Amino acid sequence: MKKRISLIVLATTMMVSVLSACGGKDGSTGTASQESGGTNQKTLRFATWDTGDALKIEQDIAKKFESDHPGTKVQVEAYADGFDQKLAAGFGAANPPDVMYMWDFPTYHQSLEPLDSFADKDKDLNIDDFYKGLFNYGKIDGKLYGIPAGFTTRVVYYNKKLFDAAGIPYPKDGWTWSEFQEISQKLTDKSKKQYGFGARAENDTYDLQGFVWSNGSSFISPDGKTIEGYMNSKETAESIQMFGDMVKNGSAVLTGGKGQQSGDDIFKAGKIAMWESGIWPLESFKQAGIDVGTVEIPAFTGKPVKGVLAESALSIAKDSKQKDLAWEFVKYYVSNESIKMRVADLPVRQSVVNELKKDQDPLYKPYYTMLERSDNTPAFLLNPKWNEVNRQLSAAVEAVMHGGNAQEVLNQAVKDSERYLK
Amino acid sequence: MAQTYLQNTREQTAALKALKKRRWGGAALYLFIFPWVFGFIVFTLGPLLFSLIISFFDWPIVGKVTFIGLDNYVEMFTDDPMFWKSLFVTLKFAVLFVPLNIVVALGLAMLLNQKVRGSAIFRTAFYLPSVISGVALAMIWSWVYSGDYGILNYFLSIFGIQGPDWLNDTKWSLVAMVVASLWGQGSMMLIFLAGLKGIPRDLYESASIDGAGKIRQFFSVTIPMITPTILFNLITSIIAAFQQLTLALLLTGGGPLKSTYFYAMYMYENAFKYFKMGYSAANAWFMFLIVLTLTFLVFKSSEAWVFYEGEMKKNPQKKLKARKGGQTP
Repeated sequence: MKKRISLIVLATTMMVSVLSACGGKDGSTGTASQESGGTNQKTLRFATWDTGDALKIEQDIAKKFESDHPGTKVQVEAYADGFDQKLAAGFGAANPPDVMYMWDFPTYHQSLEPLDSFADKDKDLNIDDFYKGLFNYGKIDGKLYGIPAGFTTRVVYYNKKLFDAAGIPYPKDGWTWSEFQEISQKLTDKSKKQYGFGARAENDTYDLQGFVWSNGSSFISPDGKTIEGYMNSKETAESIQMFGDMVKNGSAVLTGGKGQQSGDDIFKAGKIAMWESGIWPLESFKQAGIDVGTVEIPAFTGKPVKGVLAESALSIAKDSKQKDLAWEFVKYYVSNESIKMRVADLPVRQSVVNELKKDQDPLYKPYYTMLERSDNTPAFLLNPKWNEVNRQLSAAVEAVMHGGNAQEVLNQAVKDSERYLK
Repeated sequence: MAQTYLQNTREQTAALKALKKRRWGGAALYLFIFPWVFGFIVFTLGPLLFSLIISFFDWPIVGKVTFIGLDNYVEMFTDDPMFWKSLFVTLKFAVLFVPLNIVVALGLAMLLNQKVRGSAIFRTAFYLPSVISGVALAMIWSWVYSGDYGILNYFLSIFGIQGPDWLNDTKWSLVAMVVASLWGQGSMMLIFLAGLKGIPRDLYESASIDGAGKIRQFFSVTIPMITPTILFNLITSIIAAFQQLTLALLLTGGGPLKSTYFYAMYMYENAFKYFKMGYSAANAWFMFLIVLTLTFLVFKSSEAWVFYEGEMKKNPQKKLKARKGGQTP
């Protein structure tokens, strides 16, 4: 009995290495069968974190690529929530997918193929057509590891019907956080379980960076070495405290905690007037019949608004045995043709945006104004140990949402994180 | 003399023949246990030893593996506040869970031991939760505990009580976990039931002739007779308490504010969220030691309170006193 517990635990711990053993075998038999098959049938493995509609689109793109490249089979591997675990297991076993979605370059770049030489050689890629700055996210030590495939900035969604009912004019670009809080207060009606804003119970600190930058601070120093005076600066604390206060005074409702509805769902139900997010839920808001408007993120009075960019890129594994074919697929994936198919992302190419006149559409325009404001470097690119620091920071932010004092918990988080930055 | 010699050789040849026979029989024996031994070595012993080895390494899944000696253990004890915090949460959980678990399981077993019609149906009903997988169980409880739409708060509202948001309130989240964990204790209840059924009826008869009431019988006959069962259930409860991961992972994710961040979850996250395999293995071995120590202590203490059938008390004097005490109400 005594043993059993540790055995279970350890067996779990060991699962990855067991997986790796099996994985290695799979790889070798895979190539063997390809060779013995005689034909030039090649299988390209493509790993994605997407599910549902987005995954469907990606499978369609893969099918098109197959028909353009006879003898090639693209195996779309949908890792969903387990993306990091499965990808890490693949790399650990030296049997990764050939092409994969990627954002966490500091963690994975050692296992990825540098793409500079591919990009330089290939005129078809037409790098100048991409939005400037998108390439910065995929670069580590000056080497390019990912080709931007999609991105989104963050905006405030608002429910026009609720604004009309309360006789409040729609928010306009250039509004401030104090205006935002005022409106949120006015649109809260507890008897109807209606709130002005939905605050996330569990925030991704990455998304909060836009607010922190807007208030003139950041989580980490520009050289990536110091957090004292950055992560716990007065401005950082203020921009996080703001949301905690709104939850406390009742003008915002906590969303997405355990057993709680997600903010997306509450917005779809018409129970929150404003919601902050990327482009992902826009399509579903429209389908739910919400008369939705978008506006850029509010400003701290007298300070410029800054935005944060969520970018996804495509990378090729260093261990891939068919890098040229993988590159062809990456190139096809960011071609005008397939970009137009992917509606859950903002197009990475300016020519596509101009053609579809997306930046003229009032619903899409705020994403592009926010793009112009997204020129700060996110913390995870500045320090390779950021994941560890973030563990403390996330706990601190969660404490604020549950009524903690931002300054105090951030001070503590800095203290607990210092050991990672030594 | 000669006869004995002859006898000896005869015996020897017989033994030799038997050995030859047994050699084949022996092979068959090993053949039969081979699948188990193979499974044990490959899937249990191997990983067990391997995890001990990697606990001395910095072992990320992606990147270079380096030997760092005892650094993982040193970091754990001296430099990681989360280690102590999660250990404390688990201890708190164990202190609440273990006694409650035994009391509830014993209580249910007592009820099922009554001779009433349809007790088989109740037995099945109470055992049913143990058959359900942990994930499904977590789904059910997240629905029960939901702040706005949960049935628990609905029942409370009938009595005019505004229930808390159980899983998002730091004051209640751990209690909620304890209650949810208590639910799947059918097997423990069955073991108690078996223990209760094993008590000879005549003990109760003679106790009642001596004038002992139901409560007196419970404490003087029932409890002493099932102490071996209690010992077994106590140990499995302690182990279950330290193992608790499924519910934490699915019901609360360790939150809110790490109030249900169990040690097992800390270990899990180190391995599969932060990919620190070596560190996580060190965590696992420390947990192994804790459970080992606790089990050892419980076994050690059992000499004082566990009685096996036919066993005499070591100190007859004490027994006499106890009897006397028993007679004066």
